[in-house]
Amino acid sequence: MATIFTCDDSLEGILTCIYDAWASKLGQQNIRLLIEPVVEYELFCDYRHTDSDSHKANNVIDSIQKKISSYAYQMVYRCAMSASPDKADIIYRFLLLGFHYGRQITDMIQFPAVSAIFEINRAVGNEAHFFREFVRFLNMKGNVLAAHIEPKSDVLIFIAPHFADRMPSENWMIIDDNRKSAVIHPADQEYYLTSLSDDEFLRLSHLEDSDDPFIDLWKEFFETIAIKPRENYRCQRNLFPIRYRRHVTEFIPPG
Amino acid sequence: MELIDQNLSLQDKLHILADAAKYDVACTSSGVDRRGRKGSLGNSCADGICHSFSADGRCVSLLKILQSNECVYDCKYCLNRAGNDRVRTTFSPEDICQLVIEFYRRNYIEGLFLSSGVVKNPAYTMELMYHSIYMLRNQYHFNGYIHVKAIPNAPQELIEKLGYIVDRMSINLELPTAEGLQELAPHKTQSSILTPMALVQKGIAEHRLSVGKDALMDRSSANRYLSETIFDTAQPSRIHESSAYHAGITSTSSGTDSLIPAPSFSAPSISRPDPFVPAGQSTQMIIGATGENDYQLLTTTQKLYQQFDLKRVFFSAYVPLNEDAHLPSLDTAPPLLREHRLYQADWLLRFYGFQAQDLLTADRPNFNIFLDPKCDWALRHLEIFPVEVNTADYATLLKVPGIGNKSAYRIINARKGGNLDFDALKKIGVVLKRARYFITCKGKMQYHLRIEEDFITRQLTGEEHHSAWDIEHPQTYQQLSLFDTQFAVH
Ligand code: SF4
Repeated sequence: MATIFTCDDSLEGILTCIYDAWASKLGQQNIRLLIEPVVEYELFCDYRHTDSDSHKANNVIDSIQKKISSYAYQMVYRCAMSASPDKADIIYRFLLLGFHYGRQITDMIQFPAVSAIFEINRAVGNEAHFFREFVRFLNMKGNVLAAHIEPKSDVLIFIAPHFADRMPSENWMIIDDNRKSAVIHPADQEYYLTSLSDDEFLRLSHLEDSDDPFIDLWKEFFETIAIKPRENYRCQRNLFPIRYRRHVTEFIPPG
Repeated sequence: MELIDQNLSLQDKLHILADAAKYDVACTSSGVDRRGRKGSLGNSCADGICHSFSADGRCVSLLKILQSNECVYDCKYCLNRAGNDRVRTTFSPEDICQLVIEFYRRNYIEGLFLSSGVVKNPAYTMELMYHSIYMLRNQYHFNGYIHVKAIPNAPQELIEKLGYIVDRMSINLELPTAEGLQELAPHKTQSSILTPMALVQKGIAEHRLSVGKDALMDRSSANRYLSETIFDTAQPSRIHESSAYHAGITSTSSGTDSLIPAPSFSAPSISRPDPFVPAGQSTQMIIGATGENDYQLLTTTQKLYQQFDLKRVFFSAYVPLNEDAHLPSLDTAPPLLREHRLYQADWLLRFYGFQAQDLLTADRPNFNIFLDPKCDWALRHLEIFPVEVNTADYATLLKVPGIGNKSAYRIINARKGGNLDFDALKKIGVVLKRARYFITCKGKMQYHLRIEEDFITRQLTGEEHHSAWDIEHPQTYQQLSLFDTQFAVH
């Protein structure tokens, strides 16, 4: 009978789960790892919930960095931020090979377990990159800039340093509407990540200044810059997928 | 003759001066990494960042505007030519600063691309542009990307001063031959374009040497695994030996060697010198306004990289804007596929170790419509194929259609851990439907295929046909899908 280890959707949860799966000595072919909530239960499986444990998680992080490489840990971290329900299992199988082969494992894309984690990494990396490009700040009262995003992966931690570097002396925040979390950057200070209560979330959405004259100026520029005889909406869609356009100024219809 | 309207709103001005700037294709914000600074706004990423994509699918990275669309010159292909009856306007430096800062804060743009028509004269125009950019850097503390166009015939000192406060400078060659230029841009000469280009090149080299770098711009790091890239063969004409870059660009057919006086200047003496045009120079050529063939365009491109150490050469499919006996008629479609092939070939020169002469010759001066330049080359060199992916070196792998820089690099690393099969190649990112005709894995081809030119050509052109059609007819797909939905509704 297969044993399914389940854990909550966090880096710590996943790494604890891997620790427990490893320690159970059940044999990797009899084990699967799954993120909670479990949507479809299967018959003839033994479900085991693991409680996050920072000690166990740190243990795993240490081993990855020592026995494989810090690059491998970066991959694991990024994978843990993805929205894939299989990510815990994918990380687990990657680490099994990693502990065997050591640092060269990250070059061995020919193994399915390695190419799987590469693929998720690429997806998370791409999504973070999209948001570096497509985040749009609204100017709120008091010259505070606020942006809303709805990413699949948890990208805030990846994009915050980028904006902190380029706008060190501005007050800004980026809000993940899906996770109700935000990165907040007060001018000339360090940024921090926080979760928002429903109340805070609502209050923030009332502060936006819809009369900002630069919205229309930007739209004017954006419309004007396209060359008519070269119009190519399919190409535009490939490069700027529709699902990223929701909060993007130039694609929001007037009114 | 024309209206110079002082009462236009900022939005009207933006419309006019963006509309007039958009035919310049250089849009990237790439080439330099610069960290942010407390008290300033902006940084720069060497890979460049696009912020949007306009309806024509082009990347929008910089606020691309003219300082002014007034112009005393009369380039035949240009909307702003003196002879056109248009509303003329000019941005004040404050207008520009405000737009850049406020757009940047909202993450609309990476920075500014500033060009201009020639207001009064080149010196006056360049001074005005300098003023805008100086104000943006020093009063508005903008630390993001700035690309400025140098105006032909502008004074040397102004170009030098600008070089220290911008990231990229460009001056458009416009046409690859001196004759073409004379015909279409009577106020410009090749030397009025190449002189400032050489000047900027010298400034870049001097700065680089002063901070202990190589005189030549950095190129893709993977090029060090290749022998005889266009950048290696450029080495004889390295910067201190003056002769090479004083000669003009000689295109195969024009044969005119314009001799340009040696420019020289010295950087202001400060302890740690400000970088000079750190993201390098670029230029642009118009494709299809005059009769040059692809071979001329590509050899000129190569020479520009070698002699002037340009970072990028851009191609702009000619979009007819003016009726003129010297120009293609107004209903001429822009040659988009040709432009696309030139970009593909340019890529092969910069990252794949190809030379212009490998891809085209005087006898075969134009690109194949049906095949990309690399496939086309491979089919003419079947004797080196198939290549064994488990042993071939990086340079050889790169010659295989369907294997790019990244996948070649990954192959080399992955095979250290054991032989690769076709499945592994697929995971690595190799495009097997192209590569399969040219490679073996452990001595075997993927299918039992003949390495025979006609057969492979037929296979590959079938595959390429659709994308070639799409590039040349960008609007067709849309019309068809519109038709489809109407069909479905009724
Ligand atoms: S110099 Fe020529 S290309 Fe430039 S704006 Fe004037 S007419 Fe146009």
